[in-house]
Amino acid sequence: MNPVLLLGMIKICFILILITVAFLLTRREILTLFSTYSIQSFFLAMVAFLLYFKEKSDILFWLGFLTIISKVWIIPSVLHKVHQKMNIRRDIEFHYLSPTSSIFVSIGLILIVYEVFSTVLKELELNPLFLLGAVLGVSLLLMGMLIIFSRKKAITKVVGYLTMENGVLLFSLFLTELPLIIEVLVVIDLLMLIALATLLSFGMDSTIEEFHQRINPFRGWFKKSEFSLKRTLKNEFLPSSQNSLKKGEQR
Amino acid sequence: MILSFVISGVIALILILIARTHQTMNIPSLLHPLAIFILGVLDFRNKILPAMYLKGYFSVDFLSLLLVVVSAVLFFLAALYARGYVQRLIEEGELPSRNLKLFYVTLNLLLMALTLAYFANNLALFWILMELTTLFSAVLVASLNAKENITAALKYVFIAGTAMLFSFVGLILLFTASQHALGKGTLNFDVLLSNASTFQPAVFALAFIFIFIGFAAKSGIVPFHSWLPPVYAKAPSAVSVLLAGSVSSVGMYGLLRITALARHSSAQHFTSTLLIFFGILSIAIAVFSMFPRTNIKKLIAFSSVENMGLMVLGMGIGSPVAIFWVIFHSIAHAFSKALLFFSAGILHRQYHSAKMEAVKDALQLQPMASWGLILGTLSIIGMPFFPLFFSKMFLLIELGKVSGWLVLLVLLLLLIAASAFAFLLMRMFSQRAEEGKKQARWEVPRTMGLSVLFSLLIVILLGIYFPSSLQNIITTIVTQLGFN
Repeated sequence: MNPVLLLGMIKICFILILITVAFLLTRREILTLFSTYSIQSFFLAMVAFLLYFKEKSDILFWLGFLTIISKVWIIPSVLHKVHQKMNIRRDIEFHYLSPTSSIFVSIGLILIVYEVFSTVLKELELNPLFLLGAVLGVSLLLMGMLIIFSRKKAITKVVGYLTMENGVLLFSLFLTELPLIIEVLVVIDLLMLIALATLLSFGMDSTIEEFHQRINPFRGWFKKSEFSLKRTLKNEFLPSSQNSLKKGEQR
Repeated sequence: MILSFVISGVIALILILIARTHQTMNIPSLLHPLAIFILGVLDFRNKILPAMYLKGYFSVDFLSLLLVVVSAVLFFLAALYARGYVQRLIEEGELPSRNLKLFYVTLNLLLMALTLAYFANNLALFWILMELTTLFSAVLVASLNAKENITAALKYVFIAGTAMLFSFVGLILLFTASQHALGKGTLNFDVLLSNASTFQPAVFALAFIFIFIGFAAKSGIVPFHSWLPPVYAKAPSAVSVLLAGSVSSVGMYGLLRITALARHSSAQHFTSTLLIFFGILSIAIAVFSMFPRTNIKKLIAFSSVENMGLMVLGMGIGSPVAIFWVIFHSIAHAFSKALLFFSAGILHRQYHSAKMEAVKDALQLQPMASWGLILGTLSIIGMPFFPLFFSKMFLLIELGKVSGWLVLLVLLLLLIAASAFAFLLMRMFSQRAEEGKKQARWEVPRTMGLSVLFSLLIVILLGIYFPSSLQNIITTIVTQLGFN
């Protein structure tokens, strides 16, 4: 393929990734967040494939393939499944920052990262695409952190964490010398971490009755653990926990 | 060699998976650290160190062996303690019995991940294994099915996980720096160490900052410490010991390695200022958070932040003597924390609360746990004849060569920490139950008592007798890291 065209296409993918992050920062519907994430991962995989055509390094191809499998397909579908079992549809609350101001903050972050990286990496005489990738990767990292800070629901925080991870992956795409085994291990590692975080945040975000059912699958076990449950739920959850205790006994 | 460590872990895992009762799950968890301890001690004797394995992905040197042996002892004590403690948790319904197998499997996986992390020579591999330790620790914390535990575990995964992503960016930058200097990029620590002086200083400094964020979050350095108090306080006490003694020192171990690189690079002045600043900041924030605490486990957790800060401060000073005492401090701190958390766990089982107000007649009801707590406190605040006295003293002397004012500041902060402990302990142990409201004594299982006694014994021994072999080992470590 024409190298100039390739370069242009990679840059377009970069911009599309930035747009998806802007979506993630501002949208409230949780399902939209998941599909936006999967679109973002798709563009990331596109960058990997385009770089593969440019540099002809097999690692890039496999990384793109891995991204498609894990991040465009598996993770979003797991998130969907978890979401179906939960009662929440939208994450309305924002901490500290409103959607508009978080967009402005992230623009500021990108500029700062560009300034720092272009000054520091100048002496290494790297190719300009590497610099752009580094800046975008680190900005994605910081913007993902912004999502984690500014959102309240744990499941949205997971999406923020996933965005950060995409940032790191984007950066590491430009280092084809890193052995494939390390890259694969990193992806597996992060998958496990995300699975755990999703499971735990399922416990956090579900209503207290669902949580009860989750920790009480055995009926006979119920009475024995009444004491510890009461202690756990004593503060804000006590009224609802009493209701469900009664319900459990009726059953 | 590395394989024998892994095999012992795999055997333990298989035994646990086929086990049916609590006792039969506990025994492999005792044997696994014992095997690692023996293998580690044998390696000290008959190998030429450092030795490389698997194309340089793994290496065994004195530093990693020492820390592996220490963490094996801690895991052994924790498994011994868990024998009685976990049984009690199940009886009271705090740990669902279906989580029991998960608990022991994760405990052994954590030990395997830690051992391999210490032996990893490739920094990217080290990063992966470190993430795994986060994962397994979070599962252990969440194994008690209470909402507070899930919140704590989630906080841990998010803060440590996100910070570690920054570390990975740092590693990529380090790789780029080595690529520029050597022509071919590498993340193998031994190669990096011998070529650190050729790295471009600005790039190395940027990489250092990013790597520092992740490793500091893993060991609970301010401002990335906010996960630490709830996690240590909510985790089962046997797990708190491992988190405070082993999992946080893997972060310290990483920092020590990166500091060794920094010492040879031209960015040394910048990095040591950064480390000293965050060290003192950690001590200060931790100390001022310690004062209003009435929860004994939270207090011990904040004291961890303080001690981690002290170690980072020592790395910032960077003289051979300081590094020597940082390593000694990390060992002594691990065992003192074990003593404190083991004792606090017994009190928690007796009173069902770690709050100061709940503890009444402690010296009569649980004399061993109470004395464990008192002696552990004396050790952790650095009273003479306890090991931390020496490490704190020598670190302060070395700090004096940097600035006298800083010595005064740190001394004052340490004094406040000591008074926070004294305040809480005096209140706690002087409370008496009203007539007619006296609690029945909970008979402490013998294994839990043994863990307290063992850790007490180690702390006292380290304080009054510093074996010359240990001295030689730590001196060699300091030389091998190139601090001389």
